[in-house]
Amino acid sequence: MTRPVASSKRSTRLVRIIGVVAVVSLAATVWLGLWVTPPDKTQGQLVRLVYIHPPIAWVALYLAFGTAALGSVLWLWPRTRSRFWDRLAASAMEVGVVFTALTLVTGAIWGRPTWGVWWAWDARLTSTALLLVLQLGYLALRRVPGDADARARRCAVGAVIAGVDVPIVHFSVDWWKTLHQGATVLNPDLTPTIHGIMAWTLLLGFVALTLVFVWMLMVRYRIQVLSEVLEGAELEMALHERWAEGAPPDGHGATDAGPVAVVDEETPAQVGSRARGEQPAELVP
Amino acid sequence: MWRDALLVAGKDLRIEMRSRVVLNQVAPFAIVVLALFAFALGPDRAPMVQGAAGLFWVAVLFAAVLATQRSFALEANDGTRDGLRLSGLDPAGIFLGKAAAVAVQLIVLEVLLTGGVVLLYGAHVRSYGSVVAACAAGTAGLAAVGTLYGALAAGVRVRETLLPFLLLPVVAPVLLAGTRAWQAALGTGPGGDTADPWLSLLLVFAAVYLALGVVIFGSLQESG
Amino acid sequence: MSYINAGYSIALTVLSAYAGQLWWRRRRLERLAARVDPDANR
Repeated sequence: MTRPVASSKRSTRLVRIIGVVAVVSLAATVWLGLWVTPPDKTQGQLVRLVYIHPPIAWVALYLAFGTAALGSVLWLWPRTRSRFWDRLAASAMEVGVVFTALTLVTGAIWGRPTWGVWWAWDARLTSTALLLVLQLGYLALRRVPGDADARARRCAVGAVIAGVDVPIVHFSVDWWKTLHQGATVLNPDLTPTIHGIMAWTLLLGFVALTLVFVWMLMVRYRIQVLSEVLEGAELEMALHERWAEGAPPDGHGATDAGPVAVVDEETPAQVGSRARGEQPAELVP
Repeated sequence: MWRDALLVAGKDLRIEMRSRVVLNQVAPFAIVVLALFAFALGPDRAPMVQGAAGLFWVAVLFAAVLATQRSFALEANDGTRDGLRLSGLDPAGIFLGKAAAVAVQLIVLEVLLTGGVVLLYGAHVRSYGSVVAACAAGTAGLAAVGTLYGALAAGVRVRETLLPFLLLPVVAPVLLAGTRAWQAALGTGPGGDTADPWLSLLLVFAAVYLALGVVIFGSLQESG
Repeated sequence: MSYINAGYSIALTVLSAYAGQLWWRRRRLERLAARVDPDANR
């Protein structure tokens, strides 16, 4: 039951175009952000980080996590269930982790000269850190071996649980900081006033990073499709081999001849072990 | 749904009363955690009293992880899990029942821990109302999320390490709010802070996850 | 100012590295897939 693996010429070209535009716009943002735009009155040169940090944060929290959560919900809802949503959610979450981690790093880099410390338990950093852990949890759940549908279901529910948590975390951490009466001088507002070319650069930054995300999402989605099909094919071939050998009289005792399917290049470790792991389960009556 | 919930809760609690796992293992564990905190922070009373609210809730969280794992270990055999699924019981009812059982066990633990905190740390409870309310709401939320994740991770071999990693970040708001509410009750918090916003947060958390569980638990039961 | 440069460099490096990894993973999987199912039209 090998599903077709081909990707249309049109979609490959679309991905390529998006990639090129993404790179160009990102380069333009960097150029404008680092050189062309003027420094801010209050924050000086530091304001330049505003062209990349907020866009990265927006991608991480809303675009990536939002897509993953939406995909999970749509997969869970019987009327819209389709492999597409599950794959989309998985891809978005993985790309999201990269962006979330980057949000934390750029946030810390912005915070250091502003506050004097690398890490401050301020509302935004803390919620973002928690978001990162939630996303990593999802990815860990994703790695759990099992059949695709069960895994999809687990992860989808996991994503919804985490997704519902995000606003709650935001509120609680926010109150945590603001209701705290002995609050230190912390948190001079990180958002400066933006106007003119700064505004355009900021907008470009958002566009550029969104495009980068979209490109990554599409490539990651393709990877997801391919690896799922491959693990299915590998399992099939492994089963064929077993049947070809003829089932040994003592069924379970047989050691895994192992999937010899795809030979020299290493298949993703989890795919291989999953096929090996699942083998006895399938054959034991 | 409610009747099924009572059935399941009753079953789980009866098993617990017979096997006394939570009482004999998780409770002492929680007390040990309190003692460990004392070793880490002591011997001066001051930092312990200061931190008592937070430490209480951390201990509760750890206990919640164990209680949740235990709750699903009860159905560890595939046979029992399938049995539960095919029994025709309303999945929402199963969810509420299991969550209720976990909640009851946690409440017992919390009473124990409260005593521990008062005795060992010398914490001084000024308003029992807030303490009770915070514990009730917080426990409901913990039990709900725990049961959800427990079901999710059920039957998965790496469940023991995966469950804490999944559960604890999600319930961070409970830790946060519970601690703040307790600090208001113990008088160890930042001045002028009342427990009310935190109590409402705990209630919202519990309500949201109980509702989510009721809606979504069914889909977790599909074909195990 | 060095903070800014550090920030930009890290962001760009991480993004490029991940992009590269994605591209390489896709390429490797495409090759594997072609082997398993060589009739798939490209």
